Amino acid sequence: MINVENVSMRFFITQDKIQSLKEYAIKFLTRQIKYQEFWALKDISFEVNKGEVVGIIGRNGAGKSTLLKVISGILRPTIGSSVCKGNIVPMLELGSGFDHDLTGRENIFLNGAILGYTKKFLEDKYEEILEFSELGRFIEVPLRNYSSGMLMRLAFSIATVVNPEILIVDEILAVGDANFQEKSKARMLELMSGGTTVLFVSHNLEEIRSMCNTVIWLDSGLIKMIGDAKEVCNAYSI
Amino acid sequence: MNINLKQGCLLIMSAYIVISSSFYFIAKEQLAYSLVSKEMSTSEQLLPLGEIVEGMTVVQPFILNADNLESISLYTATYDRMNVGQLTVQIIDLSAKLVLREKDFDLTSIPNSGLLKFNLENPIQDVNGKMLAIKLTSNGEKGNAVTVWQKNNLSQGQALLINGYETDKILCFSLIGRSVSWVGQYYFYVALLVGFILGIYLWHLILAEKKGRICLGLRVIDAFTKYRFLLSQLITRDFKTKYRRSVLGILWSFLNPLLTMTVQYVVFSTLFKTDISNFPVYLLIGIVFFSFFLESTSMSLMSIVGNANLITKVYMPKYIYPVSRVLSSSINFLLSMIPLLIVVIFTKTPFTLAYLLLPFIIVCLVAFCIGMGMLLSSAMVYFRDTQFIWSVLSMLWMYSTPIFYPVSIIPEKFILLYKINPLYHFIDFSRVVIMQGVSPEPQAYVICASYALIMLVIGGLIFNATQNGFVMHI
Repeated sequence: MINVENVSMRFFITQDKIQSLKEYAIKFLTRQIKYQEFWALKDISFEVNKGEVVGIIGRNGAGKSTLLKVISGILRPTIGSSVCKGNIVPMLELGSGFDHDLTGRENIFLNGAILGYTKKFLEDKYEEILEFSELGRFIEVPLRNYSSGMLMRLAFSIATVVNPEILIVDEILAVGDANFQEKSKARMLELMSGGTTVLFVSHNLEEIRSMCNTVIWLDSGLIKMIGDAKEVCNAYSI
Repeated sequence: MNINLKQGCLLIMSAYIVISSSFYFIAKEQLAYSLVSKEMSTSEQLLPLGEIVEGMTVVQPFILNADNLESISLYTATYDRMNVGQLTVQIIDLSAKLVLREKDFDLTSIPNSGLLKFNLENPIQDVNGKMLAIKLTSNGEKGNAVTVWQKNNLSQGQALLINGYETDKILCFSLIGRSVSWVGQYYFYVALLVGFILGIYLWHLILAEKKGRICLGLRVIDAFTKYRFLLSQLITRDFKTKYRRSVLGILWSFLNPLLTMTVQYVVFSTLFKTDISNFPVYLLIGIVFFSFFLESTSMSLMSIVGNANLITKVYMPKYIYPVSRVLSSSINFLLSMIPLLIVVIFTKTPFTLAYLLLPFIIVCLVAFCIGMGMLLSSAMVYFRDTQFIWSVLSMLWMYSTPIFYPVSIIPEKFILLYKINPLYHFIDFSRVVIMQGVSPEPQAYVICASYALIMLVIGGLIFNATQNGFVMHI
């Protein structure tokens, strides 16, 4: 399903980001351009089979989010390749495609299109999204008048309306008030247990232990350990 | 509406047949003959020749490389007074010493510092390469005669003869003739050939789909069907948010070009006298076309940088961003055609079938803008200076495009600069269609289409080569 082969990701870090031609020219002439190479991922290889739930753990800056971005196609690896078969729904950050001048209804279609849903699908699932988000009549109000809880509820409802073949999650999203948190968590668990291939990053070891088959432990860009969930979690928590 | 590939190919094929045959009927005359004109440039210093009085002969030899000669124009002056008498204009064949055409003009009808047009109702045939001449005589007396403008013979053309003596001057005149064009003769075969190639390619696509092969054409069709919904959503988003919270809303799409035209019309028709006929339409065509170019390029310039939060979080093909921006401003462009239409009706410019040719130039312009937008948006990611450079550059571009001034005021040494300006060709094309109601010359189609294609390819290649680095730089 997902095949990651020898993926390495290099970033160039300059002391200050050169954003203008003048700066570039000056720095170039005075030979001040010093790139520092930074390898966010180093030679990562693994395979995920259909229906597997894979957890990714590691400290901040270990390369977890970079890995998810490489797999979802946002970043292209410097070396190596990552191949996914099936439609991916990346839930890296919810609601990034929202336009705050449009109404909730218009945003369902806009954001849905950005996530790659078809028009027919969105028309069929519109009622479901509306119901799940509990927005009611606010759906016809421009997004700039929404509270942040309402925004997150709408975003979550749009993102999870599909049953994707591959789900990529950066931290389990529990949004809104206690009631909605309960509901959203239940929805996430439902998605994960429904035969979907899941890749998810979490700092909550309990969650990882209870849900994952396999866990990958990343440490400064390298795979430190990969294997059975319990073993890796035990090793990590020491 | 879902159609499969086979139906789509049939649709394209029948559209091609309809378009190519109806095009022949619209542009029949321009296909068969191409206009040859020898324009005078009035940018250099003009000198009056002196009163043309009785007994004086002014002879200007010329050679026109065309099959026939249809009209000549002279730049005349009357010393700002009413003169009585006649000016005789003859066209003579210098080698055979024959008077080919002759016309007497009443001196009262001669414009002061204006063009005197001599249209030959019966064009002179077979003029190609022949040494002809314009001969001017008059029965005016001193203090009661007209003159013509001349200039220094810098370009080493045929010198002006006064009373048989050669001078170092040349007359200010222009000629219009026609040549039989090969395009008209072979149009049928060319259209057939292109249709044949198109048919073979479509057949190839259908076969490739059947066998599951992947080729460029199929990939394009696939991407289009896959991202059509996203594209339409982004376009409606841009369009809806553009005028949101403004009182007049979409009306601004009509009002903006109209108001700009009014301002420029007032400025340029009072401060700078121009002798362009039908100036409002001339001006509005320039404004509508150029402001579309400006709007779409400056919007797509920001398309990658402005959507940074989306690009780093969701995967979709990056060309969607500049393309959707250009397409959403082309809706605006189409809306601004409505005030243009109103002005056309208002100024009683006649409607002709040639208006059906406008979609061609619109498609060319949109393709050109997409190419430009791709180039600018990827440049913007790496160098934020692009936006400032572009604002200066686009202003320069605007002034060097004949939007509110005629092409004839351009000095001869800069004419090449105009010939390589794509916007000039696009605007000129639509002016010929709308103001003259005829199809432009066949080569105008080739020029416009190739500019659009070249820009699209350059923009696409640069965008494609740089797009993988976008995420790191925004």
